[in-house]
Amino acid sequence: MSSKFNIDRPKISDDEIKQGQNFNQLVERFKQQSIKKARGDESWWKNKRTRYSAVIAGVTVVCTVTYFSLFKNQSQKTSANETITTQSTISSKNKTVTKAAFINAPSKKLQTPYSAYKINNANGGIIHHPSSSKIKIAKNSFIDKQGNDVIGDVTIEYKEFHDVGDVIANGIPMAYDSAGIKFNLESAGMFDIRGTQNGTPVFIKKDKPVEIELASKNSEQRFNQYYLDTLEQNWKFLQKDIAKLSDSNLSHLSNTKNKSPQQLKSEEKLAKIQNEIEVILPRKKDSVQLVYATKIQHLPKKPEPNQPKKYSASKPTFKLDGSYEEFPELSTFKNVLFEVAPENTNYSKELHSITWSDVKISQGPQKGKNYILTLSYRSRVEKLVVFPVFSGEEFDAAEIVYKEKLNDYNLALQNRTKEETRLMNELKTKQANYLAEQTKKQEEFEKEKAAMRAKYDIDGQNALQSNFNALTLNVKATRLFRISQFGIFNSDCPHPIPTKETMRPIFVVGNKDKFIVPDYVYIIDHNNKTVYTYDKSNGFVFKYDPLVEYSMCVFLKNKMFLCSKAEFKQNQDARENKFTVTPLPDSADNLIDFKKALEL
Amino acid sequence: MAINPHFHHSNQQLQEEYLLIEAAKENPEKFAPLYDKYYKQIFNYVYQRLDSKDTAFDITGQVFLKALTNLPKYQFKGVPFSSWLYRIAHNEVMQLFRTQKDKRAVNADVSTLRNICEVAEEPYFEEYIPHLKKLILELRSDDLQLVELRFFEQRPFKEISEILEITEVNAKVRMYRIIEKLKKSLSKLNV
Repeated sequence: MSSKFNIDRPKISDDEIKQGQNFNQLVERFKQQSIKKARGDESWWKNKRTRYSAVIAGVTVVCTVTYFSLFKNQSQKTSANETITTQSTISSKNKTVTKAAFINAPSKKLQTPYSAYKINNANGGIIHHPSSSKIKIAKNSFIDKQGNDVIGDVTIEYKEFHDVGDVIANGIPMAYDSAGIKFNLESAGMFDIRGTQNGTPVFIKKDKPVEIELASKNSEQRFNQYYLDTLEQNWKFLQKDIAKLSDSNLSHLSNTKNKSPQQLKSEEKLAKIQNEIEVILPRKKDSVQLVYATKIQHLPKKPEPNQPKKYSASKPTFKLDGSYEEFPELSTFKNVLFEVAPENTNYSKELHSITWSDVKISQGPQKGKNYILTLSYRSRVEKLVVFPVFSGEEFDAAEIVYKEKLNDYNLALQNRTKEETRLMNELKTKQANYLAEQTKKQEEFEKEKAAMRAKYDIDGQNALQSNFNALTLNVKATRLFRISQFGIFNSDCPHPIPTKETMRPIFVVGNKDKFIVPDYVYIIDHNNKTVYTYDKSNGFVFKYDPLVEYSMCVFLKNKMFLCSKAEFKQNQDARENKFTVTPLPDSADNLIDFKKALEL
Repeated sequence: MAINPHFHHSNQQLQEEYLLIEAAKENPEKFAPLYDKYYKQIFNYVYQRLDSKDTAFDITGQVFLKALTNLPKYQFKGVPFSSWLYRIAHNEVMQLFRTQKDKRAVNADVSTLRNICEVAEEPYFEEYIPHLKKLILELRSDDLQLVELRFFEQRPFKEISEILEITEVNAKVRMYRIIEKLKKSLSKLNV
C-alpha cells in the first residue's frame, strides 16, 4: 500500500469545520436531485395529462425553492447575527462568573509569583527570564483597547510552570476535551503572560506577535502548543511544538556568533549524547520494566484446590435430602454433608427437627471454601455458613480427586515460577544492556568533553562550562511560541483518561481515623507526568490504571495533605478506598518543599 | 478505553432523535438539527482517512445528501442515527479509494502509536515510529480500518461493528489477531 502516513497532523479547528457546513446548500442539492430524478422517470411522462401536471408542479417547486432559499438566507443571516450577540453575552457572563473557579490555586502560599518587566513600547526589547527563557518584543507591539499604539512603558508580568508541582500550586486545569474525547495534558513547559500599563490591560498587535523562547526541561518532540481559553474552559490546540535542542544549549553561550561551525557541531553532539543518557535510555529502561511487569501479571494462574474435610460425628451437619431426579442440578451435592461453621450464632439443634421446604446454596464469604445454606419453611428463613465434609468412601474418593488437582496445581505453579524466572532474567539482561549502553555513552560524553576542552581556548572553555551548567539546570530544549494575545500557553502532550479501574475514595487523616471531605484532590500520574484534578462536584470518583504509579495531594481549607506513592500503591493493590493522608508540616509551605513532598 | 459520548445515547436522547428523523422524513428542512449535530463527527471521520481537507468537505457533503435522499428507507433500530451516517460515510470513502487510491491517508498521533505498543505489551520508543508506520501501512485494508476505528478514534467495539456491518464478536476476534500480528513484529524490534 502506498498510502500517506501523517503523524500528529494539526487538527482542524471547529470554526473551520463549521465553515464547510451549509445546510441550505444541502437542501438545494437534494431538491435539484429530486427534480432530476422525477424528470428522468419516463413511465409516467408518457401520459399527456400527467405531463402537464408535472410541469406545473415542477414550476411550483422551483418557485417555492427560490422563494424559500431567498427567505431562508435572509432569516439565516438575521439569526446568525442574533446568535453571535447572544453568545458574546453569555461568554462575558461566564468570564465574570466562572473564571475564578476555573483557574483556582488551592493555596495562595504556593502560587508562583509573577516576574514583572518594564518594556518601552516604542523601543521593544528582549526580556531574559531567570529560567533562561527569552521574551522578544518588537517595536510598537502593544495597543490599547481602542487600537492605538501604547505610549511609554508597558509592564509585562510573566511566570512559568514546569512540572506537576507548579501545575497544582497554581491551580491550572489540565483536562482537555478534544471533540468530545477527554484527555489529560502532560506539560513540557507552560507560561502565563500578561501586559498592562498603569494597571490597565494592553493588547498585542496582530501583525507583531510576541516571541517567547520557553526554556524547557523536556527535549522530546511529542508535544503540541495549546492556549488556555478561559471562556470556553478548554485548551485550544495551536500547532505542533518543535523542541529546539541545539538552539537551547547554544542560547546559554554569550558569544555563539564567534564560534566555528566545528565547535557548534561538537556542542550539538554533546547535547545529544547528554539527552540519550538522561532521557532516552532511562525511558527505555522504565518502558521495558513496565512491559515485563505486565507480562508476568498476565501469566496463567490456577486456583489452589481445597483439601476435603472428613466428617466428624461430634459436629453438626446437614444433608440435602431432596429428589435428585427432579433436581439434577443438585446431584453434585448428593453425597456431600455440610458442616455448620462455628461462627453461626443462629444455629440450634432445633433446626434439624424441621423439614425445610426450600433450600438454596450460594457462595460463602470464602470463595470456593464455604457456602451459605438458606433454609426456608413458610415464613421462616435461616441462613447458615457451612462447608462441605465427606464421610467414609466419599472422603477417600474426594481425597483422590484432590491429590490429582493438587498435582496439576503444583505443576502449573512450577511452570509459572519457571516462566516468571525466565521473564525476570530476560528483563535483567535487557536492563543490564541499557545500563551498559548508558555507561558507554557517559564515557563517550566525557571523552568528547575533554577533547573539546583541549581543542578550544580559555574563552571557549568558559562558554562551554556555562553550557554544561545549563544542562545541569535541566534546560534541555527551547520551545518557540509566537503569541498574539496574552494568557496561558502550554507545550503539551495529551494522554487518554485511564478507564481500567474506578475508585471512590474516602480520606482519613494520619492515625487519628478522622474523616475529612477535601476541597480539592489532585491525583498525580508519575508515569505520564500529569495531574488529575477533582473537586466536590464530581464526588472525587476517579479512574486509574493499576500499572501506573500515582500519589495524591489533598487540600482542605488551604491545608495540604499527602498520600505517598507507596501508600497509594498499597491502596491500589488492595483495592482499598480508604486513603490515609498525612498533613504537610506548616514549615513546608513553600514550592520547593511542596514538590519534594510530592516526590517529583 | 473511554466511552464515546457520541455513540452512547440515553433512551430519552434516542427517542428525541427518532422524532427528529420522522419529522425529516416528512420535510427535508427538518433535517437541520440532525445535520448540525453530526456534521463535525462525520467530517472528522472522513478527514481521518484522507489527506486533503477539500476532499473531506466534499465527501461529507455527499454523505449527508445520500442520507437525506435515503431517509425514507431508514429504519430506527434503537442505536444512534450516527451509526447509519457512519456507514454511509464508510461506503463513500471506500468508493473513493476504489477509484482514487492515492487519496487514502493514515493519520495518527504519537500517543496512539504508543497506545498500540502498550496494548501489544511491547515497549514504545520514538525510534520505532518508522517501523510502526510501515507495519500499519502493510495491514490489509479491512484490518487497517479496524485499527483506525479502535485505536485512532477510540471507538467501542459495538460502534465498530455497526459501522463495518460485522458482529461485535467478529470485530473483537479480528482485532485480537491484528494485535497478535503487531506484537510478533514489534517483539522483533525489541532486542
